[in-house]
Amino acid sequence: MSSVWLPCGDYHQNYAEDQGWWQTNFLKGKMILLLAVVFIGIPLFVDEYWISVGTMIGYTAMGALGVQLLIGYAGLLTLGHAAFIAVGAYTSVMLILQFPWPQFLLDWGLAYPISVFIAGIVAGLWSVLFGLPSAKVKGFYLILTTMAAQFITVDFILTQYISQIGGRGQAFSLPPGTIKIGPWVIENDTQVYFVMAVVLTLMVIVLANLLRSKPGRAWVAIRDNDIAAEALGINIVWYKLLAFFVAGFMAGIAGAFWVCNTAALSPEHFQWFLSLWLVGVILIGGVGSIQGAIFGSIFMVVVMELLQTGAIPLAEYYPKILVDFAYIKDMAFGLAICAFLIYEPNGLAYRWWQAKNYFNLWPFSY
Amino acid sequence: MKKNIFAKIFVILLAVAFVAGFSTAAVAKKIRIGGIMDTTGATSDVGKDYAIGMADAFKYINSQGGVNGKKIRYVWFDYGYRIPEAITKYKMQKRLGSVAIMGWGTGDTEALSPTVNKDKIPYVSASYSAHLTDPKKTPYNLFFSSDYSTNARSAITAWFDKKWPKHKDFGKRKPRFACCYMFASPYCSAPIKAIKDQAKLLGFEIGPDQDVSLFALDTKSQIMALKKFKPDLLWHGNTTMSVAATVRDAYALGLGTDWIVNNWGFDENLPRLAGKAAEGVMGATPCAFFGQDYKNMDLVVSSAEKYSPGVPIGKRLIRTVQAWGDALVLWEAMKRADKAGVDLTKKGCGPGIMKKGFETMRNFDIGLGAAPISYTATDHRPATGCLIQEWKGGKFQPVEAVDLKKRWPQKWAKEWLGW
Repeated sequence: MSSVWLPCGDYHQNYAEDQGWWQTNFLKGKMILLLAVVFIGIPLFVDEYWISVGTMIGYTAMGALGVQLLIGYAGLLTLGHAAFIAVGAYTSVMLILQFPWPQFLLDWGLAYPISVFIAGIVAGLWSVLFGLPSAKVKGFYLILTTMAAQFITVDFILTQYISQIGGRGQAFSLPPGTIKIGPWVIENDTQVYFVMAVVLTLMVIVLANLLRSKPGRAWVAIRDNDIAAEALGINIVWYKLLAFFVAGFMAGIAGAFWVCNTAALSPEHFQWFLSLWLVGVILIGGVGSIQGAIFGSIFMVVVMELLQTGAIPLAEYYPKILVDFAYIKDMAFGLAICAFLIYEPNGLAYRWWQAKNYFNLWPFSY
Repeated sequence: MKKNIFAKIFVILLAVAFVAGFSTAAVAKKIRIGGIMDTTGATSDVGKDYAIGMADAFKYINSQGGVNGKKIRYVWFDYGYRIPEAITKYKMQKRLGSVAIMGWGTGDTEALSPTVNKDKIPYVSASYSAHLTDPKKTPYNLFFSSDYSTNARSAITAWFDKKWPKHKDFGKRKPRFACCYMFASPYCSAPIKAIKDQAKLLGFEIGPDQDVSLFALDTKSQIMALKKFKPDLLWHGNTTMSVAATVRDAYALGLGTDWIVNNWGFDENLPRLAGKAAEGVMGATPCAFFGQDYKNMDLVVSSAEKYSPGVPIGKRLIRTVQAWGDALVLWEAMKRADKAGVDLTKKGCGPGIMKKGFETMRNFDIGLGAAPISYTATDHRPATGCLIQEWKGGKFQPVEAVDLKKRWPQKWAKEWLGW
């Protein structure tokens, strides 16, 4: 029965209902409202600074979704995700700057969108390469192999070879007007925000669909117990590599998106700290939840910005706070992770789930 | 219950602070200037002193009446040398109504330069990359010092003039030269093309580059690789900490080479960190070292004592003086623009500050041992050469003040702008 509300205690009776996108009209309304806020409300009513903060949240969430898939859904620990974001960014930029695009593709504004897709594919395949050891190792050992991806990709290949192409060395600058999608030249914060919103929405839809399909179930089975999963007939090597491909693909798209937010690119944009940061994002947001990646991104970006904003007026009376704040901010990152691991190991997504349940069952919650 | 009250008070205080922080009305009559600094990231070994020096300089400027009587409100943020964060910090500065921004690293300054051009906000950075000196490409990027390429060209020239003739192999073979720097860092790599060009011009044999991280504590493998090439001269393009590590390792392994160092790797901390190995190291100095005898140095030292009493004077560096250099050129540009009728309290006055301020400066002396500063509408290279100094006998001593424009006027005018 499709109704506005899910009746208390009366849950779905088959798998298809349970996994349905639009389980109630209320849920559909909520999603439409959310999209309206993201696509209309924020660009209309929020100033340029907060739009750029929104873009940063989106970029962080794009990267975190891949990490969430690997760690949260497939149980494959990674600390080298910045490398795959870098591969995507560099592939997109190299294609835009070096590839002899037919004039009609440039005129129709298709060069950048095509480069984004190819960036995803290349980053996905690159991720598979570093996912190969996952056939044999897991846990801490897998962390080390993924960290190798960071050092081999960013510090060695991109820095020593790719960055040298074109003469400038180390940094690529994109001439103004290079990033064009159809008739739109992406050149201001609002346009970049819209690109982010569209790409992130598509990524969430694709990942959510994957997770409720066969690969998604296989990933969760592998995460929960890989030996049992193999006994059930799941080809665990194939699905692990598929997880690396999808995560790498999403990282590549994130990197290619990043190109339109900054007109210059250097390996410094993708240092190891970014990989660590993304793991922190899903730990705070909630491991094993798509919302978790998004909540974590909002928390990490917005809280840091708010803390900084709060420090400005205090500096009038206590000037040293701006010097000390640098440490306070990094300390806050570490403390937030510790606090969440100790007091809320299921992350913000779990709190969201609790709040939702409370209101779903209201006034008869127990 | 008590806990709850405290929590509520804390939330209210935070909310008030937050609202006040974003309020532009509260300081409507002040000139807003922003800062994006690195006090915790990869270059914090030099960035912290720079950030503190910059804050001191603006306090001093306000104590002198600000810009022709209009006070400055200077707000700065640390971005931890993380470029994505620099971008959001820049947007925040813009939101706060900053009419000029004091920036930091090359990576973020270059990444932000297209946005800065669009927003028309003068961006006075601690990045002296020559890529930021061509107004056709980067019309709003500025700094007070000789650029990195000029530093590098001057340093290799000074060594070639003063040290090579005393070498036992002088006249018998070409001098051998190689570079150590962090390949991934735009700051470190910015002058490499220029210094190799200069090395070719002077007739050096050029060896393989060595990748040395900004965080390097051990560089023995790079030194061993260099031993095969037997360089007479090495360029180090990093910051002080990694320069000290490399110089120390080279000394310990008996490499027996001379060093020339870019300005961010050459300061009072180098001999402290490298000890005996620092003897004879030469470096580019964009201005005087902290406390050296120059016209305006008293202001720098007394302001450091007055405004940052928590940092001992003995620990202040040339970075403070560099910060003052950037602050003083901006101050001068704003005073000139204000006199010419530009309203500095309003957003969008950037073009006025550029045209009526910076680009009217000819041979302006900041009084801190820097070369005279000029900006024109077609050339933002502030200085035509650089003073090269050497750490010798327990103090910094001048080796040569190289003026590239005088020695290679054609190349300076036609070839070397913008790289």
